[in-house]
Amino acid sequence: MDRLQRLALLGCAATLLVALLAPVSPAHAAKAGGILTLTQREDLPQGFAIHETATISSVWPAMPCFNNLVLFDPLKPNETPDTIVGELADKWSWQDGYRNLVLFLRRDVKWHDGTPFTSKDVKYTFDMLREAPEAPQKLRLNPRKDWYANVEAVEAADAYTVIFRLKRPQPSLLMMLASGYTPVYAAHVPSASYRTGCMGTGPFKLKEWRKGEFVEYVKNPDYFVKGRPYLDGLKYIVINEPGTRIAALQTGQVEVSFPSEVSKTNAEQLKAAVPKLVITPYSINTNDNIVMNMKKPPFDNPKVRLAVSHAIDRRALIQAVHQGGAVPGTALAPRPYGAWGLLEPDLQGLPGQGKATDEKAKAKKLLGEAGFSPQNPLRVEMVTRNLSIYVTLASFVVNELKQIGIEATLKQIETAQWHPMGTRGEFQIAANLTGIGPDDPDANFYENFGCGSPRNYSFYCSEQVMSQIDKQSQELDPKKRLTIVQAIQKKLEEDVARPIIDWRLDYFTVWPYVKNFIPHQSMYNFGRVQEVWLDK
Amino acid sequence: MKSYVAQRLAVALLTLLGMSLVIFLLLRLAPGDIVDILFSAAGYVDPQDKKAIMQELGMNRPYWVQYLEWIRGIVTGDLGKSYRYELPTWQLIRPLLPVTLELAALAIVIAVLLGVPTGVVSAIRQDSGLDYVLRVLSLAGLSMPSFWLAMVIILSLVAWFDWIPPMTYVGPSQNLRLHLLQFLLPALAVGYRSSALIMRITRSALLEVLREDYIRTARAKGQTPGLVVWRHALKNAMLPVVTVIGIEFAFMIGGLVVTETVFNLPGVARFLVQAIQWRDYPMVQNLVMFISIVVILSNLAVDLLYGVLDPRVRYGH
Repeated sequence: MDRLQRLALLGCAATLLVALLAPVSPAHAAKAGGILTLTQREDLPQGFAIHETATISSVWPAMPCFNNLVLFDPLKPNETPDTIVGELADKWSWQDGYRNLVLFLRRDVKWHDGTPFTSKDVKYTFDMLREAPEAPQKLRLNPRKDWYANVEAVEAADAYTVIFRLKRPQPSLLMMLASGYTPVYAAHVPSASYRTGCMGTGPFKLKEWRKGEFVEYVKNPDYFVKGRPYLDGLKYIVINEPGTRIAALQTGQVEVSFPSEVSKTNAEQLKAAVPKLVITPYSINTNDNIVMNMKKPPFDNPKVRLAVSHAIDRRALIQAVHQGGAVPGTALAPRPYGAWGLLEPDLQGLPGQGKATDEKAKAKKLLGEAGFSPQNPLRVEMVTRNLSIYVTLASFVVNELKQIGIEATLKQIETAQWHPMGTRGEFQIAANLTGIGPDDPDANFYENFGCGSPRNYSFYCSEQVMSQIDKQSQELDPKKRLTIVQAIQKKLEEDVARPIIDWRLDYFTVWPYVKNFIPHQSMYNFGRVQEVWLDK
Repeated sequence: MKSYVAQRLAVALLTLLGMSLVIFLLLRLAPGDIVDILFSAAGYVDPQDKKAIMQELGMNRPYWVQYLEWIRGIVTGDLGKSYRYELPTWQLIRPLLPVTLELAALAIVIAVLLGVPTGVVSAIRQDSGLDYVLRVLSLAGLSMPSFWLAMVIILSLVAWFDWIPPMTYVGPSQNLRLHLLQFLLPALAVGYRSSALIMRITRSALLEVLREDYIRTARAKGQTPGLVVWRHALKNAMLPVVTVIGIEFAFMIGGLVVTETVFNLPGVARFLVQAIQWRDYPMVQNLVMFISIVVILSNLAVDLLYGVLDPRVRYGH
């Protein structure tokens, strides 16, 4: 081997070594450019004011405009403390046994109008959210104030350091900060302006919101994550008619389905029509449940409540109402769709989870003990929202109740009246859907089962359960926390606090050339679109 | 003629005033308001916050104050702000008008082009096989809801062509072919139903006229059958047809809800339904007033056409 050959061999070896050692990242394959077309089932209810709404119709199209302090990794479907990545904060640290959360902010971030982002914006946002006395502005509506009930102060230590001081340890705070519901607002614009426009730091800048028609974004050229976003723009088309939305998806006029939109039946039809569509089942972190007003007869009687819970055959409902597109569970979504819920073997023994005939026999016995019989049947009015997804659930439940001798009449309530009616307790029994931001016990328990919470529609209040909820919230060991959380879920079902019927699944559908759009454990948290690219 | 029009316009103003009162009161009688809807989207209710928002929107003022302010706004050209979008309602309504007017006009053109000739043929060939076929087709059109037909059109396009019209509005200056396609299909869905009605009215009116003495006289004088029908009979048979066309056009302005929704066209009717669902009072009130104006004007136009079609009709007497 002469010198030249030796040099050539060395060169080849060096090239191979460099290739092997080079970081393998999906970004290498990614292509930049293109406009992604998405769909909306309705126009944005409150514009881009994510902090003033609790609906996917707002958070989904508004997320690309914003950034959080931290976010669930867009490329990982699971949402756990381990999958949280930095956004506006590039580092963070828990101190004093999870009493203080110190966040170190990026220094290279600018708002879409060029104003530098600083800790002032963070303090402004979170003081407003927790309604601190010193907050310079008040949100018109503040649905997630309870998330920050444990935050004692938000301090801007310097322009790029923020400290969240907590009243007691609460590791879950980070999970809530990572939700799509927790963007940082700009301190230099009025919070009300988000209802008509969007001043964000996010990967996309608002180009146009044509009311009732579409929302259009363009790439933010000054985005602080270099090389992102890949796409040149986004277009969210409002299509009110569900059949037309599916037709638009099938013909490629929209390239991504709206979360919660595609049922199992729709998914099967779409796959049959366009086999190349990529369809991923995932939990939208929304459950079907029954709310019984504990302040009013007959549901102030625990035996009657228990009878109702026993009467509903969860598995039959999943087949009949969702054609198999849901899973049984309790207050938190079960694995693999969630991290905290009870699994199938743990469900055995809980009301309504056993063999249907046995459960109905138990229900009849309980009703008898409560003083009701075929001669003296229990007559109730079941209310539900006048939306088909509610009505199909309620109709099934009415039929189940009939089988144990409860004569329920179904009353449909208009959306405008639904929440006021629930909060005022002007109902006996309701068929309801509950969606939860992050898959986290704190976000769910305090909001839906906490004593005095405005969204605790059944008015369930147990000191024992509340102390357990507080205990799990402060527990630092994940395994111990899981044990407490699962015990709470069992107790909630036994107390018939708000019997959970099932967890709905969605079949997230994208065209095959849409890459890196990965559905998470909750539909509220993966709409940033920063990592999405088109392989066209 | 001028005094007749002035008289009709004066009556129209009174009608609009009555209409404004009815819509204003009906909206307030409907359960719930925009604040309830906002809270629904937020998933909770806070009575204090609700009070503050109602004050912000001016909804806590007495009804008569709100009504008079709205009427004053209409007179001065200020239609108020949408509760939902916090924008001037005129700014929101303006882009909807051409969409709905174009769709309604196109649907009426289709309805007339289909309905009148088939009605004439059906009348001339009364009780023939062709007459039966055309009557069955018209009966099908009347029985078939236009929203169902619209959905069938969409599904058929997907199944056979793997294509549907654009989901966002394409202006004629952007792409004329796409624009026409976008409007032609929904216009067909709506126009077919109207054409069925027009066909039946044309047929029965023409049959009646064809039995008149002057038609017999025209035939006896040796005029060709075509000339008799098209020049002498049809013109006189058109009075009820024109009435129906006017009513149908007025109905379409507010009645295209489902068609606009299925074809995703950003028109008045679709927006009106959204505004009603949101209890966006300023939007609903102004859209209803716009529809009322169209109904009144199209009725006036029809009445004026009577004089053109039938010289015996005189105005102002």
